[in-house]
This record gives sequence, structure tokens and C-alpha cells, in this order.
Amino acid sequence: MYRRVSILLRKHFVSVLILCASIVIPFSSVKAADPAKGKATFQTNCASCHNVHKKLTGPALAGVEDRWPDKKLLHQWIHNSASVLATGDKYANDLFNEFNKTAMTAFPQLSNEDIDDILAYIKVEGSKGPATAGPKPEGQPEGGTEKGNDNSLLFGIITLILAVVALILMQINSNLNKLAGDKEGVLTPDPVPFYKNKAYLALIILVLFMVGGYFTINGAIGLGRQKDYMPEQPIFYSHKVHAGINQINCLYCHAGAEKSKHAMIPSENICMNCHKAIKEYSGTYELVTAEGKKVDGTAEIAKLYDYVGWDPNAGKYTKPGRPIEWTKIHNLPDHVYFNHSQHVVAGQQQCQTCHGAINEMDEVHQFADLSMGWCINCHRTTKVQFADNNYYSIFEKLHQDIKDKKIDSVTVEMVGGTECQKCHY
Amino acid sequence: MKRTSNILIVAALATGAFLAACNRGEHNRKPGRIYMPDMYESRAYEFYSARLSGLKPVEGTVKRGELLPYHLKESDTALANLVKNPLTITPTDLKEGERLFNIYCGICHGTALDGNGPLYKGGEGPFSAAPANLVAGAKSGYTEGRLFHVMTYGFNMMGSYASQLDREQRWKVAAYIRSKQPGAAAPAAAPAKDSAAAVVASK
Repeated sequence: MYRRVSILLRKHFVSVLILCASIVIPFSSVKAADPAKGKATFQTNCASCHNVHKKLTGPALAGVEDRWPDKKLLHQWIHNSASVLATGDKYANDLFNEFNKTAMTAFPQLSNEDIDDILAYIKVEGSKGPATAGPKPEGQPEGGTEKGNDNSLLFGIITLILAVVALILMQINSNLNKLAGDKEGVLTPDPVPFYKNKAYLALIILVLFMVGGYFTINGAIGLGRQKDYMPEQPIFYSHKVHAGINQINCLYCHAGAEKSKHAMIPSENICMNCHKAIKEYSGTYELVTAEGKKVDGTAEIAKLYDYVGWDPNAGKYTKPGRPIEWTKIHNLPDHVYFNHSQHVVAGQQQCQTCHGAINEMDEVHQFADLSMGWCINCHRTTKVQFADNNYYSIFEKLHQDIKDKKIDSVTVEMVGGTECQKCHY
Repeated sequence: MKRTSNILIVAALATGAFLAACNRGEHNRKPGRIYMPDMYESRAYEFYSARLSGLKPVEGTVKRGELLPYHLKESDTALANLVKNPLTITPTDLKEGERLFNIYCGICHGTALDGNGPLYKGGEGPFSAAPANLVAGAKSGYTEGRLFHVMTYGFNMMGSYASQLDREQRWKVAAYIRSKQPGAAAPAAAPAKDSAAAVVASK
């Protein structure tokens, strides 16, 4: 085998040589421009306005060399774009107008080799094609939910079967007793059927009363409480992707939580701070609704564009925006006063204390039941940041007590957190 | 006969209770029942109505205690370079500026101000434009006035932060950025800011 190959090689020595050369030559000619070096230069100088595949402040750069009529002109453009515009070059002027007459920063400090490096990097990167949004689904089969519920159902069924068995055994027992009595000639009275037996009836009525009462009272308490409420929102906005995976601070969007009574649903311009540039969902985390339906993140971002009237291709607002009508989840009745800034700034509470692990929720649900008992319990046990807090400086007696070591901490209740008129007035 | 009627009563009760427990719909998509809905669906001022959400303050008004309005237009960058910080910045203000920066700016510009926040991650993150490096390069020379101007109007791919940060907060962030930049103690800065920067530097 080896011999045959070597003979073959020897026969076609010249053609192999030519083949090798033809592979090597183009490489050696490109070698002058180093894409790796170009990448570094690109990242520091160009990347804030340009991307290879995406249109940002400036055009996408893939295939830029083919678009410019002359490489020399391209170099001149990068060194000083105004000088090219002054020559009246048609392509350059059209480009300038297309991007809202935003002048490209001049880069006189870049040498011709630097630019060639950058162009080489763009060529290499451009030939790869846009990074495909290939989410590798980390198979998370839905179903198998609420195992606890399944168990309780099982236990219920077992209890029921045992009760029926016990009933049958009791019947048999009484029948046998009666037979035995008959045999011995003792006259036993006709047995009362169990549904006429007063003891049985009383027991059944008692049980029904208790079960019915339990459900009635629970249902009545639950009226108006929305724990676990998880409505479908107009846009599948995943808090997990934004606040969890991408680590955006809650206050970035809900800036009102520090300043006002309401945490505020963010206005759309806040979405567009990032989504002007982030046009598709390319994360590896797979978005799934509670029903198990897969969600196309890119389509959800397109919904946002439709609401705000942004044309991602033209890169400008093309129609009047309209508000996104999010469904409110956390709702307190009118007779309760609640203030976010009080809890976040003076009370130094984390958002998660009341809202749960929002950064792990795709779709937000109400974590706490927002009942009065829930509020009061927290106010009784939570210690306020009493020291070094201007907000509580008026509580002179408590400050004195702390100084005298009579108490070691101050709860919300001690500064009036359970007074009725604090929240109801 | 009576036996069946008993069974029927029990079954009816059980179903009733079951239905009462499940008025949320599948996956809790419905809010559940309420009594006296007037108390829950407020007729008072609501943020969630399409008409009232995101209203701007009335034109020409200034909130009590707020800084006076900023009148430069987006294109007045040369003038913005000269605007002085109206606040007297104390070390506490710088700390507040840092906290605000880390919340609102750090996500892109990085908490080290190097333009490499979690959203960019050196090109790996979802944000495709490289955020400006605030401590090196061209943007490290921006004055506080210019930084404030950029926060107010946005710049290239960056949006305006005027809706999230009020004027006072923006000035504090600008002072914080400036204090981190090379040449922060330059004579161009206000004297009060100088001492504040010196305090921070001496820490």
C-alpha cells in the first residue's frame, strides 16, 4: 500500500508540487495582513460604531472591500472621511447621507498596514457568516410537575379504600353477630341500616361540616388575593434572561422604585437603550412558556419594534409608537398605602424579599400573597437599619434605649410599622 | 334510594369545593375572584392606562428642589464641553455616583469603566457595539459637562438616560466618571470637585 502511494507520488511529483505551491502562495501573500492583529485594532477603534454583520451607528462591514471602487479611496476614507466627501465621490456621499450624515471619526493614527490588518479580519469574519442563533436546547422536558400533589392524591385514594374496607368489615361483623344470636335463640332486634344509624349520620354531618367550612373559609380569605397569578403578557419578556443571565440590575428598568411610590413599568425608550443594537435573541437558554410552548426570542423583539415604531433595517423610528399594555400582576386595593421608595431606600429591602426570585422567572408570577397578615408579620420581625440612618433620627427615645443597652435592635413595629393609620387612611 | 341521594349530595359538595379552589385557570393565568372590585380596579390615578403611562412633566415646570433645566440641544457638543457641574461634589456624592454608575452604566461600560460590561463581554455578549472605554482613549478626556450631555441625549448606540436618572443623579455620575479618569485633578475641574477627588485618591 505504502509503496503504491509513494510510486504514485513520484509519478505526479510535479503536479503535487504545483498543488502545494498554489495552496501556499495565496496564504503567503495574505500573511502580510494579520487578521488576529486586525481584530485587536478593530475592537479598540471600530467596534463601538461598526459590527462585521450588523448595522449599528455605521454600516455592517462584511464585504466592505468589494463595495468600495478603490482600495486606496477606502484607506483615505478611514484616515479622514471628510476629505473623501469633499472630492464628491458618489459612493461616499451616498453612504454619508444614508447614515443620517453622521461623520465617521477620522483615524489618522492608523497606518496602511493597520488598515490592511483590519480589512483582513473583516474578510475572515465576514466569510464565516453571521453568528447563527443556534440555541442548543438544554433538554428540559416539561411535565412531572407538582409531585407533591400526586402523592397527596395517592394517599387520599388509599384512605378512601381503607375506609370502604373498614365499613364492609363492620357490616360483616354485625351480620355474623346476628347469625350467631339467631342460632342461640337470642332475639336480636333487626339491625338499623347504616344510613339510618344516628351515630353514623351525626359523624357524616360533622365531617361534611368541617370539610365544607374549611373550603368556604379558605375560599373567602382567598377572595381578592392573587398569589401565584401569572398572566400572559403582550410580549414574552423573560426576567430570567435580562436580570438573571445578563445581570441587569432591577433598578436599571424599574428606576422608580427608589424615587416614588411605584416601581414603574419601564417606558419603551428603556427597552430601546439596548434593543437598538440587540436585534435578535441569540442566547443558548431556551425560552418556554408555562404551557410548554417554545418562544422565538427574535420574534418577541420584533414585537417590541412594532410597538415603538422602530425599523431595525433603516435604523430609525418610522411610525408613532404606542404603549405596550402589560398586565399588572401585583395589585393592592385602594385602601392600602404602599410605597416602594420607603422600602427600598429607607428600609434597604431587596426586591426579592417581596417579589421572590424574579431573576429566575421567565414569566413573572406573584410570589407573596400580599395579605395584611404577610405585611404585619414582616414588620414585626424585620429590623430596621437604625444606626447611621437620617430617616430615623427623630426617634430619640429608641436611640437612647440603644445607647443604654436596653434594646439591641429596632423592628419596624417599634417605629410604628403596625399602626393602622400607617397604611390605611 | 336514600343511599344514592346521600352519595349525590357528597359528590356535589366535593365538586363545588374543587371548582372554588381552581378559579385561577390553568397555570394561574387568571387573577382569581375578588369582591368589591371597585377597591381593586382603581379609578384613581393609574400608571397602567395607555393614556397616563409615561407622561412627561408639564412643559416649562421645575419640580421643587430639582436642578434647573438643561437647555443645550443635542448638537451643542462644543458648548456642552464647557458646562460646569452645578453641584458641590462631596465624597458621599461620589459614592452615590459610583452606585448609580454600577446600576445604570456598568452593565455596558463595565464597573471598571473599561467599556467591557456584562452585555458586551469583549464581543461575546448580546450587545454588538463596543461600549466606550471611559478611562482610556478619546473618551477619557471628556469633561463633566460633556459626560452629562451624553447621558442626557445619548451618543451613537447609547440611548438617553434622562428618563431613569434625574439631573442631579446624572451630575453625580459624571463627577464619579471624571474622578476615575486620568488627569481627574486637572485645573479645569471645579475646586470643590478637586478636593473631593483628592479625598478619594488619598483613601
